[in-house]
Amino acid sequence: MITLRGLTKRFGRTTAVDDLTVDIAPGRVTGFLGPNGAGKSTTMRMVLGLDRPTAGRALIDGRAYRELRRPLREVGALLDARAIHPARSGRAHLLAMARSNGLPTHRVDEVLGTVGLDARAAAKPGRTLSLGMAQRLGIAGALLGDPPVLMFDEPVNGLDPDGVRWVRQLMRSLADEGRTVFVSSHLMSEMQLTADRLVVIGRGRLLADAPIGEVIAGSAVAVRVRSPHPAGLAALAERLTATGATVTPAGPDELTVTGATVDRIGDLAYELGVRLHELSPHGASLEQAFMELTAGSVEYAGTPTGGTDR
Amino acid sequence: MNTIAAEWTKLWSVRSTWWTMLAGLLVTAATAGQLAIYAANANTNDDPADDAGVVTVGSIVIGSVELTQYAVLALGLLLITSEFTSGTIRTTLQCTPSRGRVLLAKAAVTGAVTFALGLLLGAVGAAVARPVLGRWGTAPAAETLSDVAAVAVYLALVGVLALGLAAALRSAVLTLTVLVATLMIVPLSLQEPDIAVLNRIADAFPGVAGAHFLAGDSDPYPAAVGLLLLAGWAAAALALGRVALRRRDA
Repeated sequence: MITLRGLTKRFGRTTAVDDLTVDIAPGRVTGFLGPNGAGKSTTMRMVLGLDRPTAGRALIDGRAYRELRRPLREVGALLDARAIHPARSGRAHLLAMARSNGLPTHRVDEVLGTVGLDARAAAKPGRTLSLGMAQRLGIAGALLGDPPVLMFDEPVNGLDPDGVRWVRQLMRSLADEGRTVFVSSHLMSEMQLTADRLVVIGRGRLLADAPIGEVIAGSAVAVRVRSPHPAGLAALAERLTATGATVTPAGPDELTVTGATVDRIGDLAYELGVRLHELSPHGASLEQAFMELTAGSVEYAGTPTGGTDR
Repeated sequence: MNTIAAEWTKLWSVRSTWWTMLAGLLVTAATAGQLAIYAANANTNDDPADDAGVVTVGSIVIGSVELTQYAVLALGLLLITSEFTSGTIRTTLQCTPSRGRVLLAKAAVTGAVTFALGLLLGAVGAAVARPVLGRWGTAPAAETLSDVAAVAVYLALVGVLALGLAAALRSAVLTLTVLVATLMIVPLSLQEPDIAVLNRIADAFPGVAGAHFLAGDSDPYPAAVGLLLLAGWAAAALALGRVALRRRDA
């Protein structure tokens, strides 16, 4: 379990992470989504005690990272796959990590096997590794201590399609083993395939924290409804709201509806006898919904989790 | 111990460590050889004012340190600046979140390795100087051994000083610049006008203090005080590096 409470990071006058309060629970893959520069990496660095929060706390199973005695047994993380010494072999890199936490040497060979780096690849100096190999080495480092909590910052970057599929399966199986898996990406489509739950941030602020289905249903398909009859439109809005959809007036004769399909809205309008001049889905692609969500224009709140300090 | 083991693994898994040690060996051999030639020449040239008489091999080894220390400095310095440039410092701190522990482990490894290297360099320097000096040199066993040991202690402390400073400054070039200034340029400039006050200030600098320790001087302070001064500089540099590592985001 990763717990963020009012986590804030300012660099001079820019606020990179703004009052983030989220719980990342074990047993599922939580996607951490946001455009580049949204504060995902900074958030992860604060969880790992690398960056000091300006305010708030980031805790792992209730403890700050800097308090952990053998952190690799508690949290595994891949931040920057390129952060390897240019002259050191991948194997020596992992070996030093293992020694630092008193992990047996055979763990190094085990994780190398898990990520599919053979002896020859593991013996190559850091500078000669392709980005894909470096990602695999980074993932091996995260798995080294067999930790219950795992964080991956953009793990599929630089991987070929096979590698991407492998990472997805790995995340899935790690979560199925009951671990906390927190994966960042700037690609909605990637998250759609990997994550059970989404934490979406934009400009450092929490935009959504909900099961992936809800985020998709809630924000992906917005339907524009236009009618020459304001009274009929109001009645329609009322019925839609009663069925759980979110209705936003977009003008005197126009509504924006999320959380209901075009078919459903059309049926309701027919039942109510409301004449429609337009009934069109817009922002129908996930990609576009995500852009809207992260553009700062739309604030979407799924099932509220916490917000209060425990 | 785990942190030390990790630092030990890291040090020996990059080739630059070996190159630095080889460079130290070559520079020591060359410098000791050259100093021995000078000493022998001074006794045999036409100007009797130059005559140094018979010198000890140990004094040649000590003289060569002034140059060879820079190879040793590089060892301590690279142990941390390479982590900043490659970004592995984040991995290191992920493995060991305590900044003080990381720096102490690096200091232990640096100190141990530079001490051992110092013994080796001293032995090589003595081995080169002895035949070159010929009849103008002596090598009393006990004195030579203690001189070589002193050189090793000096190099270990200077290596740790370089490490601490590098942790604070992060850049290898900047650290080396500051080290050359602190060890050599500033005290030399202070001593240049030969004013008592400035000389006293220069005496407090690590390189000068180390030189008094190596020479076994009793003036301006006993050799042991020189050693303590140098150790104080190394400790201060480590403390500075620890503060910088704790304060700054990695």
